[in-house]
Amino acid sequence: MTGKTEDIFNNCLQRILKGESIEDCLKTYPEQAPELEPLLKTSAALAQRSSAIQPDPGFKVRVHSQLQAMLYDKQKEIEERGAKIHFWYKGWVLAMTGVLGLLLIGVGTAGASTSALPDGTLYPLKLATEQVRLTLAFSDVDKAKLHIQCAEHRAGEMVEMARQGKSDKVLMLTEQVDNHLDKVHVMEEMPVVEETPVPREKGPKALAPIPAPAPSVGVEAFGEGKEAGELEKTLSQSRTRNLNALRNALDKAPERLKPILQQAIENIEQDYNKTISIVGSGSNQ
Amino acid sequence: MRRCLSQLNHVLAILTPAINLLSSFSFSSIIDIGMMSIEKDIVSRAIKGDGEAFAQLYERYFDGIYRYVYVRLGDQSEAEDLTQEVFVKALEAIGHYKQRNLPFAPWLFRIAHNQVIDYFRKQGKMEKVPLEDDITLVSSSNPALAAERELEIEELINNVEKLSPAQREVISLRFGAELSVAEAAKVLGKNEGTVKALQYNGVMALKRMLLTDK
Repeated sequence: MTGKTEDIFNNCLQRILKGESIEDCLKTYPEQAPELEPLLKTSAALAQRSSAIQPDPGFKVRVHSQLQAMLYDKQKEIEERGAKIHFWYKGWVLAMTGVLGLLLIGVGTAGASTSALPDGTLYPLKLATEQVRLTLAFSDVDKAKLHIQCAEHRAGEMVEMARQGKSDKVLMLTEQVDNHLDKVHVMEEMPVVEETPVPREKGPKALAPIPAPAPSVGVEAFGEGKEAGELEKTLSQSRTRNLNALRNALDKAPERLKPILQQAIENIEQDYNKTISIVGSGSNQ
Repeated sequence: MRRCLSQLNHVLAILTPAINLLSSFSFSSIIDIGMMSIEKDIVSRAIKGDGEAFAQLYERYFDGIYRYVYVRLGDQSEAEDLTQEVFVKALEAIGHYKQRNLPFAPWLFRIAHNQVIDYFRKQGKMEKVPLEDDITLVSSSNPALAAERELEIEELINNVEKLSPAQREVISLRFGAELSVAEAAKVLGKNEGTVKALQYNGVMALKRMLLTDK
């Protein structure tokens, strides 16, 4: 082992983490390929497993709220000292205090960020935060991860809007799911990363066929029968299109993205099914 | 106030196409440079007490800090407590942070690194913690898939725990935190060559462990 081998390994690793395939890296270093290949496969497995470690969303919101409160106290301290404050900072602190207030009066700290719905006052804040995160994403894979998360959020909101019988919002959210997933599908064009030598008896799971929508109980009636029928059809088409595209992307995505895509497929499919079920119960009335 | 807002809008109008261009440009290294410059600006604002800027940094680094701490500790609840402490400390200290001495990511991860060291010192135990039986790392509607992922993560943590302390540090920073070699070197106060060697030997050892497990 020499310093040069370590440099070559690191160079390949960096390229793989950015989405390049192991084969492409090995082509650059044919002499070192036999030594490098198993190490790079192990690295891909490590990266894949590490990316599956995700903090609990409720915990993330709780820490966020705590930091907002700390910022607010800090700000008050500065004000008392007579320091000058930027007006937009003031506005932000007030907005965040509002968020904290809402959290305290019943929405619940953990559910605050996920509970903002398209017709809510906090919703623009939620979208703005997502935009900032997308702008700050450093790599294509990070960007894809965020688009998947956003699509999942929109799909979750779609269910709630359907429950409230708001067809315009459901359609708007369907488009937004499409938009986010369209950006993820770019990943299909990325090079395939080799399967790893890690023991996996079960292998990637075959996805179950899309179940027929179950009848929903205890939800608000959803619009007129015809309108609901058309919406149900649009949702079904969107579900099929998006799930097929996501499954194709899953085969071709870099290893780091695979667990996230797999999870997204399950979540989005469930949300579509719930929405269709709610809309379907409206059209049958 | 109105004049100030109009100037701000003007600046945003100039910057937005540039940011969009940077985001869509295909050369990732150029994007990285652009993003570094954007991040520098965000960090500067956070240093001056801009809460929104700090919130952006929080969103950017929260998952990485959590993963790094989790891989080091192997315990979900302890990892949550420590991650929280890292951001509280960062918020308290950011007013004194100097960008020219250390880039932001290594500065933040150095706080995390020190917290982990303090944790083990206070606990008076080796850096080897048994995994909880009922950990929930990956929420999933498919319990079989979630269980499979949790087993994979458990295997990863168990194997990383068997590495030497220095290798464990580097592997956690490179794969858990997703830092570059240069950033990991700055966190640990080592040179890049040493970090590359620790990374190479760490992955080599993990490869052997995975083959043995097989």
